[in-house]
Amino acid sequence: MTFLTTGLLLASAVAMVGFSLRVSRWFTRSSFPANSAPAPERFSFRALGTALATGCRTLVLDIVLLRRTAIRSPYRFMMHSLILSGFLGLLLFHAMDDLITVHLFSGYEPTLDPWRFLRNLFGVMVLAGIAMAVIRRLRSPLLRMAAHRDDWLMPALIAGIVLSGFLVEAASIASPTIFRTMVADYLYTDHPEDIRALQGFWHETQGGPAPEQPGLMTPEDLTLGQELAEDGCFGCHAQTTSAFVSRAMVDTAPSFWSFLGTVKGDMILWYLHVILTLLGLALLPWGKFMHVLTTPANLLARKGAMDSPGPDIRNSTLTQGLALDSCTRCGECSLHCSVAPIFSVLKTREILPAEKLTALAGYGSRKGLSESEQLDFALGSRICTECLRCTEVCPAGIDLQNLWRTSKRKLVETGRGGPHREMLTDEGRARIRTLPPRQQPDTCPGLSRRPESFQACIQCSTCTSVCPVVAVSEDPTRDLDLTPHQIMNLLRMGLTDVPLTARMVWSCTTCYKCQEHCPQDVPVADILYELRNDVAGRSRS
Amino acid sequence: MTFLYFPGCRIPHHLPQYGRSVLALCDVLGISLEYPEFGCCGWPVRHESYEASMYSAVRNLAIAEQAGLPVMTPCKCCFGNLKHARAAIHSNESLRTFCAEKLAREKLPFPESTEVVHLLTVLDRYVGTAAITGNVTHSLDGLKVACHYGCHALRPAEVTDFDDPLAPTVFERVVAATGAEPVHWDLRLECCGHPLRGRDETISGALMRRKLESVRDSGAHVLATACTYCQLQFDEERIHLPAQDPLLTAPPALLVTQLLGLATGLGGGDLGLDKNRFLQTYLSY
Repeated sequence: MTFLTTGLLLASAVAMVGFSLRVSRWFTRSSFPANSAPAPERFSFRALGTALATGCRTLVLDIVLLRRTAIRSPYRFMMHSLILSGFLGLLLFHAMDDLITVHLFSGYEPTLDPWRFLRNLFGVMVLAGIAMAVIRRLRSPLLRMAAHRDDWLMPALIAGIVLSGFLVEAASIASPTIFRTMVADYLYTDHPEDIRALQGFWHETQGGPAPEQPGLMTPEDLTLGQELAEDGCFGCHAQTTSAFVSRAMVDTAPSFWSFLGTVKGDMILWYLHVILTLLGLALLPWGKFMHVLTTPANLLARKGAMDSPGPDIRNSTLTQGLALDSCTRCGECSLHCSVAPIFSVLKTREILPAEKLTALAGYGSRKGLSESEQLDFALGSRICTECLRCTEVCPAGIDLQNLWRTSKRKLVETGRGGPHREMLTDEGRARIRTLPPRQQPDTCPGLSRRPESFQACIQCSTCTSVCPVVAVSEDPTRDLDLTPHQIMNLLRMGLTDVPLTARMVWSCTTCYKCQEHCPQDVPVADILYELRNDVAGRSRS
Repeated sequence: MTFLYFPGCRIPHHLPQYGRSVLALCDVLGISLEYPEFGCCGWPVRHESYEASMYSAVRNLAIAEQAGLPVMTPCKCCFGNLKHARAAIHSNESLRTFCAEKLAREKLPFPESTEVVHLLTVLDRYVGTAAITGNVTHSLDGLKVACHYGCHALRPAEVTDFDDPLAPTVFERVVAATGAEPVHWDLRLECCGHPLRGRDETISGALMRRKLESVRDSGAHVLATACTYCQLQFDEERIHLPAQDPLLTAPPALLVTQLLGLATGLGGGDLGLDKNRFLQTYLSY
């Protein structure tokens, strides 16, 4: 077995194992709730026809033509199209030429045009696309900050595969070993003068290895070399200028390439190219590479929807797993997120949808999240306003809205709903009381700690009598612990921490009636806001 | 007259009929809108962090400052928080510095003069009730409407500068322009209770009950809202009442834009009426 076959088998095996592991995780995400799917429709040809039509439309518009990207950003459309079409071209017509190209085109030789030219063109397309992607990430402070190691390594690997391919071709053009082998195998004459003439011509016009004493080459030699080349070489070799990238590499530093030829550089580079390519194959089910399989599948599963159809949609473990693994980490959701400005103040990365999605995958996994990761994930989840924008902009068609709504529900059920939820139970209130105080930022007016704001209170209890929350309670002391004017009184007495866990503070509707009606201009509602901010600050990681 | 449309976060997914009917009505009344990409108004995060809430609001004001146009929002909570931030950056020096630095990093101008108006004010002051009446093709004569004000536009009045916080009239004026008859009801200025959804369901539900009872007793046919959250409370949340609950047949909630849209001849599709959960009273009227 050759190195290539062995490597291919090994890499495929690794990829298969990885793929199975990753897909099996979709079904072991036990703590991630799936809603009850409606009963499948009875089979009918009409339903089948509709499904097929939707599938075809999604395949063409969303998967092949990248509609979702095209309508949002011509830059990203160009970037992704370059990588996709360039890479597919290389994969189908170059990497898999034994399986595809040979059978489709009679007389196929990788050294003939258009293949030689196309290989270079496809390679340039991929590199241009990767460069655009890297520039896009570097130019956005948010994307740069949120980038994971893989977000740099994965494009680097693709670029590495293509670059090493260019180098292999350049080294082959300039290689004396390959020239000698080709002459021995294919040239009908073995006369040293003929070979010298051919090498001279080949060196002069094709960037081939230099003959001995090239200065002594006469025009007659070159004419002879050209005749020999036309008879023996050009049947299978297009002009090396067709490989416009590799040939340019040779022409830039000819002496480097001829040196490389003496140390089997072409072989070394070929091994590097093959190893990098096999590495790419083996890594297919890991990280964002997986999106080449999962994203099209997810787009098909979404049937072209760009909104979030709501709780009636089939939301199975399978569709959720697929959705979680379809993320390409392009970061568009985070760039357009309505609460991204809030992230810029609180600095918890999980506020950003792309980072929250990563946390969500971990949250549902068997390993789970650490305590502080859970706090951050819960904070990100409760700050999300469900504005739908992430779902609308996601080029992978992930129904993020649905994921957030289900995971928020789960967080609430498991006691991770945040201070408001904790305040509803005695245990929650007891835990909150144990949290150490934390300094509020100086941008906060500090009303609850500054006597000027509440010392004017004369305990007239107007705030309490206009409060709609107090009004709907039969027994405010039982239901609310304290009433607004009692809270103001505690603050006057310097007992600032006492009302922090009073239900009145947490069941305030923020209607501002108390503040509007206060005859002494005490900012009652704003003070209650601050008390909640105080606890929220203590609850964050 | 051109405004920057600030829908707020809850309209696109949770109350699309409000967005749709605002756009349709503005088109009819000749209000032109622009659609910059705003962020969250900051109100939902106000419980969590004042600083984050204020910056989120101020950044929106800065986007408007850059566009040089006033902001129009149909949501009372967005309106209230944007107005609060607008006042706070002038009274709170450290907040002002904090926001100015962050905005500079995003190359956004500091919002010295951005105007924020609520949809009702636009209808009343910029369009004018006479112009609304002029566009009425299907007079709502005989329809009794209970107007629900929404807290965050009314109070604190020194910040919101919306209407008289104790005796507002703007909503009734706008509704009366359609030929409908605004009715007085006891709890018209009280909270709908929605801010407590997800925080204290019991009290939120009790507040909703009291208000629906008050509307029913007023003899109104419909309850008109002009706020995303109020409408969600009286429409979307009401469906969770137990079957046979008498309040299920209390007057249905209709958005002000849907009401005006019907009067100006817009169709149910433009107004998203199919999304409303309780329309039977209105339809049988």
